[in-house]
Amino acid sequence: MSTELPELAAPPPTGAGGSSPAPTRRTFIATSTVVGGAVVAGSVVGGTSLIGGEEAAAAERPPSSRVSLTVNGTRRSLTVDNRTSLLDLLREHLGLTGSKKGCNAGACGACTVLVDGHRVNACLTLAVRLEGAEVTTIEGLAEGEQLHPLQQAFIDEDAFQCGYCTPGQIVSGVGCIQEGHTGSPEEIREWMSGNICRCGCYVKIVRAVRQTAGRK
Amino acid sequence: MSPQPQAAVGAPLSRVDGRLKVTGKALYAAEHEVEGSVHAVIVDANIGRGRVTSIDSAAAEALPGVVKVLHHRNAPKLPYRDNAGSNNPPGRRLRVFQDDRVRFHGQPVAVVVATTLEAAQHGASLVKVGYDAEQPSTDLTEAEPDEPTRYARGDAEAALRSAPVRLDLTYRTARNHHNPMEPHATIARWDGDQLTVWDKTQWVVGTQTELAAVFGLETDAVRVISPFVGGGFGTALRCWPHVVVAALAARETKRPVKLVLSRKQMYLGTGFRPSYEYRLRLGSDRRGRLAAAVHELDAETSSYETFTESVLAAGQMLYSMPNVTQRYRTVPLDLPTPLYMRGPGFQTASFVIESAMDELAHKLGVDPIELRRRNEPNEDESSGLPFSTRRLRECYAVGAREFGWDRRDPRPRATREGHWLIGRGMAAGVYDTARMPAQARARLDADGTALVEAAATDMGPGTYTSQTQVAADALGLTVRSVTFRLGDSLYPPTPPHGGSMTMASVGSATLDACNRVRRQAIELAVGDRESPLYGVGVDDVVVRNGRLHVKNDPTRGETYRRLLARNDRTHLAADGSFAPPSGPERHSFYGYNATFAEVAVDASLGLVRVRRVLGVYDAGRIISPKLADSQALGGMVGGIGTALLEHTVTDHRDGRIVNANLADYLVPVNADIPDLKAIYLDGEDREADPLGVKGLGELVMIGVAPAIANAVFNATGRRVRELPITAEALL
Repeated sequence: MSTELPELAAPPPTGAGGSSPAPTRRTFIATSTVVGGAVVAGSVVGGTSLIGGEEAAAAERPPSSRVSLTVNGTRRSLTVDNRTSLLDLLREHLGLTGSKKGCNAGACGACTVLVDGHRVNACLTLAVRLEGAEVTTIEGLAEGEQLHPLQQAFIDEDAFQCGYCTPGQIVSGVGCIQEGHTGSPEEIREWMSGNICRCGCYVKIVRAVRQTAGRK
Repeated sequence: MSPQPQAAVGAPLSRVDGRLKVTGKALYAAEHEVEGSVHAVIVDANIGRGRVTSIDSAAAEALPGVVKVLHHRNAPKLPYRDNAGSNNPPGRRLRVFQDDRVRFHGQPVAVVVATTLEAAQHGASLVKVGYDAEQPSTDLTEAEPDEPTRYARGDAEAALRSAPVRLDLTYRTARNHHNPMEPHATIARWDGDQLTVWDKTQWVVGTQTELAAVFGLETDAVRVISPFVGGGFGTALRCWPHVVVAALAARETKRPVKLVLSRKQMYLGTGFRPSYEYRLRLGSDRRGRLAAAVHELDAETSSYETFTESVLAAGQMLYSMPNVTQRYRTVPLDLPTPLYMRGPGFQTASFVIESAMDELAHKLGVDPIELRRRNEPNEDESSGLPFSTRRLRECYAVGAREFGWDRRDPRPRATREGHWLIGRGMAAGVYDTARMPAQARARLDADGTALVEAAATDMGPGTYTSQTQVAADALGLTVRSVTFRLGDSLYPPTPPHGGSMTMASVGSATLDACNRVRRQAIELAVGDRESPLYGVGVDDVVVRNGRLHVKNDPTRGETYRRLLARNDRTHLAADGSFAPPSGPERHSFYGYNATFAEVAVDASLGLVRVRRVLGVYDAGRIISPKLADSQALGGMVGGIGTALLEHTVTDHRDGRIVNANLADYLVPVNADIPDLKAIYLDGEDREADPLGVKGLGELVMIGVAPAIANAVFNATGRRVRELPITAEALL
């Protein structure tokens, strides 16, 4: 499959507001609820319908909603099954398979993306709650052929093996750097502990994040 | 070794597939775009043993988007031919939807296929399954074992009775699950009688032959594609039932089917490291010279297959002693079948033996390294064969120096920093050097680039990169000019990507194929009157950066491109192969390590924090040092998990795994991992294989858990003989 990257209409949030607080699960849910509250349920007019094939259309439609969000700088207006997570929206509907499904329960961090600049677990986020949100995935970090400095640092430090947790680690690392939680290796370890690497590349992940933070 | 200059091999290169992985463009099993795919979700049995008495799929089938619900009452009978040479253990493999038996909690009993993932998931939750439940047997210590496997040399019982120093120790190790970050996933598509699957597998050839056997097809009718594997650690060495479910669902719905296991399902039938109860009795003289060892092991297996692993070898050859007895029993339980997990067998044996050696050292008041030196064998006493290479003494010496072993206080509970008790421990590690027949093919194109292909796998260690390095040097090309492709059963066959045998086996086949292509080019040149190399001896020509030249006269030569163009050749190509020498082995082949750990234990809470780990490895030649370093550090992380965190917990009342998720089955996270350091001894093993490698992936994990356990003893004076070592055990 060729994952064609949409043109970046807006640059990904890289470090602009380094002082933004880390989202706790509670503040994240609260924020999402406010955003999601604006969604008009049941509208299937216009936009792209992503709620299944012909069979589904012929039968009774599952509960679905219209949502407009920006993914890697491209505005998308979609009608999505209310049950669809942001992760499944990205992977199964938008062809953005860079964000990974490791546990689908918020325990591993492989699905980490930035929503309005904050790192979140895409598997725990319902897509319909993201009206107006800016989503940045691993596919949105590089500027054309120019890798994000943290992507390059991951290659240089060999901060991955199988590569499956890597997109989540890198997006999480971008968030960690923006948050300013990179004062020491210990601080990076703590703030990168939501991303499991089963190949065990933690030492090098910390090096890559530290090196990139130091460059800023 | 190759006469070629070694520019790429041994160089600390970054991964050739690094860019794909950091940009999210590397495609794992579930990510291939297969037009018209529908989604499948498996329904797991909700009892630990018994029969399915009813299946009501009406509610699921009424759901918009649901295409089909398959189960044993409507699934066709499948041939399930025997599959010799597969990784299926002895027994009768689980046959999906072929009968009403439930053999373990979570066994697939139905599958829901739907046009959307959401509908398939919802549908699976609506399938009502009725059961006739029986009491499952899942407790290793309660069930009846199989007939044992035995080994004996000398008379260990008699020697034990007369030994001046005796230890009688019983260890228990927890069941561990591989838990790669990528869940198992399969996309299956039928084109007539041809089956193509995109699968998470460590052995495309193994999955191909198993699907052919299950569906009664010719091997060629099945193609398996697996370019990227998001971690394996052994779980993908076998074609599991869910792969058959995907292929069956695709056949029955006449649509390509994508099936991704949930994290929970990763605990329900994709293998695990079995739990052991391991009693070890040791006898020695007062200086610590071992006289005898009696090993009695019981290990989990399933009720339908007998899984065994190499858990006896270390006890037979790691230390010198005249008398050894071993009794290894599998215990059939109502569990899914185990499968090799990183360092299979050796990992468990090494924890037990190396913990016991530490206990003996403490009892005798001998330094643990000195005790091991006193028991260093001169040959493999299980076979009488010489070691191809065994540099364990050097591992001890380098490790002791680098770790600062002489600063360790041998008295338990003697070193404190505030409320932290500090301890240091070490262990030896051993893993056998496996090699199996493998093939590869190489093609040098007229533009001076090369393509090398083998049906190999890269689950993370860096097969793409290391094979490229081998190929580049053998062809005399830069790494950039070489492309290595893997993960397709259409490529030349290779053995399983496990047991640390990929480099030795596939690497040697790659080397052979590329050597043949280079030789073809040289023969073409020296026989070509228009070549500056005309008339030169074949063995006097080397190739560097795509240019052939006389070994001792770099000015006399020409490029591959000129040579091929002038001779109207679009390409040169060759097939290569490797097979270990036939006939009886003439050497004993193993890799070795000495692993050192420092821990801090909270004196009042029992919390164990690892502060540093050092591994020193005798692993033969290192092809790709940068990647080998990562692999070693990763092995240490895995070892820390086994030592302190990992434990699959079963509720014996109903056979359910209670922590089948990544929040309750603990694996190390970043904050758990301190300073790690790996040192590879320079050298090569000329007897092992043409590349001189001994394998890394398993070896680097073995030794970590016992080193930590021994450090915990040094810190606290508490000897914990059960993994994982939890805070409760130290309170």
